[in-house]
Amino acid sequence: MSLLEELATLGVDVEGGVKRLSGKQSLYERMMFKFLDMVKKSEVSPDFDSSSYNDVMEVAHALKGAAGNLSVTPLYEGYGQIVDLLRKGKPEEARKVLVDMLPVQEKIMDCIARHANA
Amino acid sequence: MDKGKTILIVDDVEINRIILAEIFNDNYCIMEAGSGAEAIGLINSNPDIVAVLLDLLMPGVSGLGVLEDMNRTGKIKHIPVFLITAAESDAVLMEGYHLGAVDVIRKPFMTQFLRCRVGNLIELYAHRNALEDIVEEQVAKLQAVNQSMVETLAAIIEFRDCESGEHVKRIGRLTRIMLTEVSSTYPEYYLPKKEIDTIVTASVLHDIGKISIPDQILNKPGRLTAEEFDTMKLHTVKGCEILQGIPDIMDADIYSYSYDICRHHHERWDGKGYPDGLKGDEISIWAQVVAIADVYDALTAERVYKAAYSREKAVDMIYNGECGTFNPKLLEVFRKALRQLENDI
Repeated sequence: MSLLEELATLGVDVEGGVKRLSGKQSLYERMMFKFLDMVKKSEVSPDFDSSSYNDVMEVAHALKGAAGNLSVTPLYEGYGQIVDLLRKGKPEEARKVLVDMLPVQEKIMDCIARHANA
Repeated sequence: MDKGKTILIVDDVEINRIILAEIFNDNYCIMEAGSGAEAIGLINSNPDIVAVLLDLLMPGVSGLGVLEDMNRTGKIKHIPVFLITAAESDAVLMEGYHLGAVDVIRKPFMTQFLRCRVGNLIELYAHRNALEDIVEEQVAKLQAVNQSMVETLAAIIEFRDCESGEHVKRIGRLTRIMLTEVSSTYPEYYLPKKEIDTIVTASVLHDIGKISIPDQILNKPGRLTAEEFDTMKLHTVKGCEILQGIPDIMDADIYSYSYDICRHHHERWDGKGYPDGLKGDEISIWAQVVAIADVYDALTAERVYKAAYSREKAVDMIYNGECGTFNPKLLEVFRKALRQLENDI
């Protein structure tokens, strides 16, 4: 299976993402490799401090924006919820969403990493 | 592609910059900045930027910081700024609007809408900027016409007065130097440069009332009798009457300064001048400055009734009070102004 086919099975709206890039599939793939780098560099850990989480919110906010633009829908929605909950002062609920979302993120990142190294 | 028209994309996330660049690079040149500080540098050094797509949340200088700088430089009036947002709070977006942003771009980007919205506003701004250029050009032309009108009037006076056109030019030069000096030395007399320019233009009409003075008095080779001197003094009020008859041919500011200078350039600090006997700062600072410039020039120039005095003698006469009393603060800057006048010549 190609990268894009596989991503589609993981809930990524590949069609919408490619359309946003004027139909350029290869550019979309390159963007996915950049997204992998971004996630690696700005990982959000579930053991963040409940009393001070501005940094977490900023990283989640940036990941939400990039995921949205690449139509990585599960991560866009997940980070969106996390940002909203942190903004409302509900870090424990945000932590729960993050814990539930991380395995999905891992699968998507693994998929991209495999194709990047292929 | 409309070469030269450049969109600046400001976002610390490279993916977002690349996607936006892809959306617009068919029709515009693209410039990218990964930080607010970089964006400020590019905006201030690239006249081809026609729009800025600006992320709000960035490390260091934020998007709001970029907007604040564009307000400071005035660029915000000529370049539409679009705020890029994933989910900023309403308060932050409102602050962005208050700082002059024109629209909000939400992530994920909607390609077609985005192209239309940004494209339309770029066209609108281009149209508005072109209109402003036309208005600016027309104002400059109007000012040039005003200037030449005023200079023509001044030339007519000088022709009557048997003086060369150099008299008003010298007064204009000394007026400019003294006003600039007094304005920067004494805060109570501060005047913006633009006002000083207008006053200098207006100063050339200070003697327009001399048109109404009979030749035998105006160009009398000897000393005037008391009666003749009284007639001569009337050139101040007559000048104002002439100006009142032609208010529409000149700019309102030039008219107002001309009127005041014309009437009050023979007033003196101690109240012993004419026509109104104004005292101290009842006399406007510009009328005071033209008064001292006029006296100095009359002393150092040859006239039908006297030879020219040396510069040193003229300065001594002014400081000794032989030509009436002047504002001590003006006398402070007068010597300095004369040195600059000599250097300029």
